[in-house]
Amino acid sequence: MLRTMSVFVRAVIVGCLPLVAFAADPVSYVRQIRPMLDARCLSCHSDDERNGGLSMEGYDHVMDAVAAGKPEDSRLFKVISGESPRMPKGSPKLSEEQVTNVRLWIEQGAKNDTGAGVAPAAKVAWWSSKPLAKPSMSGIDAFVRAKLTEKKLTPSRQADKRTLIRRATYDLTGLPPTPAEMDAFLADASLNAYEKLVDRLLASPRYGERWARHWLDVVHYGDSHGYDKDKPRANAWPYRDYVVRAFNQDKPYARFVEEQLAGDVLFPDDPDGVIATGFIAAGPWDFVGQQELREGTTDKNITRLLDRDDMVAQTMSTFVSQTVHCARCHNHKFDPIKQEDYYSVQAVFAGVDRADRPVDRDAKVAAARGALLAKKRAVMLKLQPLLDSVEDATSPEIERLTFRITDAKMLSTHIGEPKNEKEAAEKKRLLAQAAAETEIRKKLIDAIVGAAKYAEIDRLNAEAKALDTEMAALPKPEYVYAAASFFNRAGTFRPALEPRIVNVLNRGNVTSPMQEAMPGAIGVRFPVADATDEGARRVALAHWITAKDNALTWRSIVNRVWHYHFGAGIVDSPSDFGRMGSEPTHPEMLDWLAVWFRDEAGGSVKKLQKLIVMSETYQQTSVNRADGASVDAENRYLWRMNRGKLDAESLRDSMLQVAGKLDLTMGGPAARQFWFKDDHSPIYDYTKFDPDSPEAYRRSIYRFIVRSVPDPFMDRLDCPDPSALTPKRNNTLTAIQALALLNNPFVIRMAEHFAERLTGTPEAQIREAYRLAFGRVATADEVSRLTAFAAKNGMANTCRLLFNSNEFVFVD
Amino acid sequence: MNRRQFLWSSGGLGGIALSHLMAQETGKLHHAPKAKRVVQLFMSGAASQCDLFDYKPLLDKKAGEPWDPGEKVELFQSKPGVVMNAPWGWQQFGQSGKHVSKLLPHLGSCVDDMAFVHSMLAKSNVHGPATFMQNTGFVLPGFPSMGAWISYALGSANENLPTLVVLPDPRGYPPNGPGNWSAGFLPAAHQATMIRAGTPNPIYDLFPPEKAKFITKESEKDSLRALEAMNREHLATHEGDSRLEARIASYEMAARLQLSAPEVLDISGESEATKKLYGLDNPLTEDMGRRCLTARRLLERGVRFVQVWSGADNGFPRRNWDSHENLEKDHGELGTGLDKPAAALIKDLKSRGLLEDTIVYWTTEFGRMPCSQGSKGRDHNPFGFTSWLAGGGVKGGTSYGTTDEWSYKAVENPVYCYEVHATLLHLLGIDHTRLTYRNNGIDRRLTDVHGRVIRELLA
Repeated sequence: MLRTMSVFVRAVIVGCLPLVAFAADPVSYVRQIRPMLDARCLSCHSDDERNGGLSMEGYDHVMDAVAAGKPEDSRLFKVISGESPRMPKGSPKLSEEQVTNVRLWIEQGAKNDTGAGVAPAAKVAWWSSKPLAKPSMSGIDAFVRAKLTEKKLTPSRQADKRTLIRRATYDLTGLPPTPAEMDAFLADASLNAYEKLVDRLLASPRYGERWARHWLDVVHYGDSHGYDKDKPRANAWPYRDYVVRAFNQDKPYARFVEEQLAGDVLFPDDPDGVIATGFIAAGPWDFVGQQELREGTTDKNITRLLDRDDMVAQTMSTFVSQTVHCARCHNHKFDPIKQEDYYSVQAVFAGVDRADRPVDRDAKVAAARGALLAKKRAVMLKLQPLLDSVEDATSPEIERLTFRITDAKMLSTHIGEPKNEKEAAEKKRLLAQAAAETEIRKKLIDAIVGAAKYAEIDRLNAEAKALDTEMAALPKPEYVYAAASFFNRAGTFRPALEPRIVNVLNRGNVTSPMQEAMPGAIGVRFPVADATDEGARRVALAHWITAKDNALTWRSIVNRVWHYHFGAGIVDSPSDFGRMGSEPTHPEMLDWLAVWFRDEAGGSVKKLQKLIVMSETYQQTSVNRADGASVDAENRYLWRMNRGKLDAESLRDSMLQVAGKLDLTMGGPAARQFWFKDDHSPIYDYTKFDPDSPEAYRRSIYRFIVRSVPDPFMDRLDCPDPSALTPKRNNTLTAIQALALLNNPFVIRMAEHFAERLTGTPEAQIREAYRLAFGRVATADEVSRLTAFAAKNGMANTCRLLFNSNEFVFVD
Repeated sequence: MNRRQFLWSSGGLGGIALSHLMAQETGKLHHAPKAKRVVQLFMSGAASQCDLFDYKPLLDKKAGEPWDPGEKVELFQSKPGVVMNAPWGWQQFGQSGKHVSKLLPHLGSCVDDMAFVHSMLAKSNVHGPATFMQNTGFVLPGFPSMGAWISYALGSANENLPTLVVLPDPRGYPPNGPGNWSAGFLPAAHQATMIRAGTPNPIYDLFPPEKAKFITKESEKDSLRALEAMNREHLATHEGDSRLEARIASYEMAARLQLSAPEVLDISGESEATKKLYGLDNPLTEDMGRRCLTARRLLERGVRFVQVWSGADNGFPRRNWDSHENLEKDHGELGTGLDKPAAALIKDLKSRGLLEDTIVYWTTEFGRMPCSQGSKGRDHNPFGFTSWLAGGGVKGGTSYGTTDEWSYKAVENPVYCYEVHATLLHLLGIDHTRLTYRNNGIDRRLTDVHGRVIRELLA
């Protein structure tokens, strides 16, 4: 009662708002009730999914929950107006307007006006589902200025040259400018000095290293599998190097997308084609579930479901900023994504797993190996069912023996290294028993399988072996951990050989499969010419994403790039353009940028970045202004530049560079900045690592990223959990961070190296330290104070001070 | 909220992480809390319900006979063996007359303070995903742990100590490693501080390394003073950016932590009686005893959430509860190691009046099968296992939910970790459906889209 009262009170007070239908206005089923039911109820209460036995699909079904004329007796009204079970379950309440509409509609007789000449209300499309608009103007500054004017804000002046070079250098390369670079830029009085700087930075190999790191956040790249028994993933790095290379080469974006999803199929002659599909394999992998669980068990099926789920979530949030993975158990609660759509994307990946894949630099060798692998796959298709039948051969006696053999082996493992003679004897006895009984069991199995089948197995094995010999004769390949449809079996982990059947799962439950899902994407199904051709599925998805008219794709990438330059996206939820995400602050500019990037720039990310970095908007000072802050404290409309804080990698790399220790070697196997012991469960220990070993000096992009045991130093500096898709990093300040920067052995050693490289008089050393760390001339006062400090506490303490200062950590 | 609270609780970044701080900003939670802090005892590797807390006379009666629960049984590694009963026998304890294994007599003596949930279910039969689930509510990696959520919701009760502390088993990390206590997508302020109790440097980077001889007490004082001066000067030319000031304050906080952390970890001042109570005089219980005692000291000084691990990885020789091969030996050792210290924690908290608003929460990732694996072990059982709670707002001497006559499957009131998490949050004054954080377009919750408060567990 209170609730309805308040609605009316508000309606009277705020009379001008058309929020509430007054009693005199008839409420239309078609225009008001039906759209609300579609949007808010149907995902759980449809004819397919009748939760609580109730469907809201179609007028007749709705009337099962309505007593015409009596809202208080209508189940529909009761559950939306506060009575238990409160609906919509697990999501925000209906608006007061919607609740009132339902009440009035029932009071007015709950009539169905379908076909009575009432036009359905035009569906209000969510911004991201609209086609790219043709904007009324062009140029970043024009859009930003227009918005500032609209908000009664004014832009800030251009930042000084020192600020600009430090900002642009960090932004584009993740490193501070060297004193020499700084001097050269300050001395260059030409009108296009800044443009030359930007061109130099975009051409630097450091650029690709910096921007690849952003991409690896988005795709949750790691160098170990994660989960239990977190094994190193020795061949993950070629994908990381591919991303660095792709940015440095300025690979057109459509090609970049297509390579990562289906490069092996689309560009078979280019080694990068295979390597790029490391994208699909970038996330975590459940070793135990994949390699130790038996085929056909419920948990094996769950493991595979979740493995593909990770591929779906990563692909769709990375490329089209959609949360398709929210539709695993039911239709998406907020966006027009059906459960079938979700399983369609799963079906795209139904033929691949994550595994090491050979890469041949020579196209001829690659073709030869490809042909041999195809033949071997054909052999395995015949061989696998035969092997399965051997594995499945059983009898009560075989089972009894299996039980005893397993027991004896387990107990001997449990003894481990025998500690005394008794244990040694017991272990010996157990192993002998297991060996003897394995012999007996083999005979029993052989009798069931029969000689003919074994002969066939032997023949096929010989064929496979001959192919292996031929392959071994080819030049040795490199390997990349990537999407693989064929690989050698390890434990119970084996290739699909042909795409696995993917079913839509009732409530996401593997034990409740429904209809088979056909490969597709949001609202589309791809034509399947050959159901066994898994590569064609990935190609179709890639082409759906890179289609010129897929507005999501083009908006998504320009927004991501913008986000990293300004610290906030035009849409501040870079991987979610759905209704739970943000709306763009500058929708017209977003569309203009997307079209410009796609058509004018031909998908060149470097061109896009040059456009952004050359804009007056980007070159503004970051100085706070009372007039701006009073209107727009968060600076959403960019009346100034945002002050940045160095991320974990930039901070670590800066210390290396300033200390004169940065090793600029590019690429290759990941730098292990920990002590490692391979074991049943491998051990990664950061405390036993020497911060002066060569691995420590590499740029942070090349460090070996362990999923289960993250580097505590980087972790504290907001380096994200490598198993979480991270379109946006957290940016925090904590006491634990302060302690890490004060006391971590790496920082301590870098402070010492920094001190060692300074030469000359004490005053000269302080001046040099300021130029290296802050890129500026120290004031006389600073020189005298720090000289005194250094005289008392030493230069290493002075350098440690600079590393810990706000000026070092923030970028104006 | 003063500046220091701000640092520990919100991550300090002006405005960004503040939305959740309804508790501190408005001075009240979703509802009146019954408890203020939690200590979680996590048995890694899957502790057996049917050997410790879930008494089934049928197992004694049918021991050694072929096991036939009347349906196909799908096990993790093996085919079902024979019915196997608990090696230690059972005893009734307390007013409630609860049956507890004779392996755990000290915990048995606490049953009137404990509320058992016998009908727990797991969504995975594999240690990695199932351990994630008990910690974060999800079988996938990358989500925040319950402790991180509680830190996020409640903030700190002692600005000089971390909000969330984890005491891992010194023999190694559990499956998933520190991923189990990850802050996931929550701000770094909600990361756990790991304490390796009893080692020379129990907290990473709390102090400069021994080798750094150039840092002395004197130089440290000068450095912090000079740093603040430098940062203040910088601040004066960079007005209107709260982060710069927050970062200055973070160094003050760091200095305070350096003072308070060693004090809390130094147990030498505890009485002999207390040390004995925790079993510090016996090598079998010493390690767990030290960590449980440390947990009490952290809790009494205002740490919100302490997680104590019993059990490391699944390697050999066995160092966790994953008793596939020889349950009597492995559960025997771990059970003895756990019993006295865990009971001491409950009793000690109680005698200090702290149990009233502290929740002790014992759990594991799944249970074990009532049949044998091989001759002496037990395989995984995700279909029914036991957790228990004690303390703040928990109805002692109760048991909720049951498994079937075999202790095989939860039959009455089956629950997942969602329900237990929802109940824990409820006791802390938090509505689990309203504790959310927007990540990748989803308002994430500890309880995903599930969970309800188990009223029967509430005092």
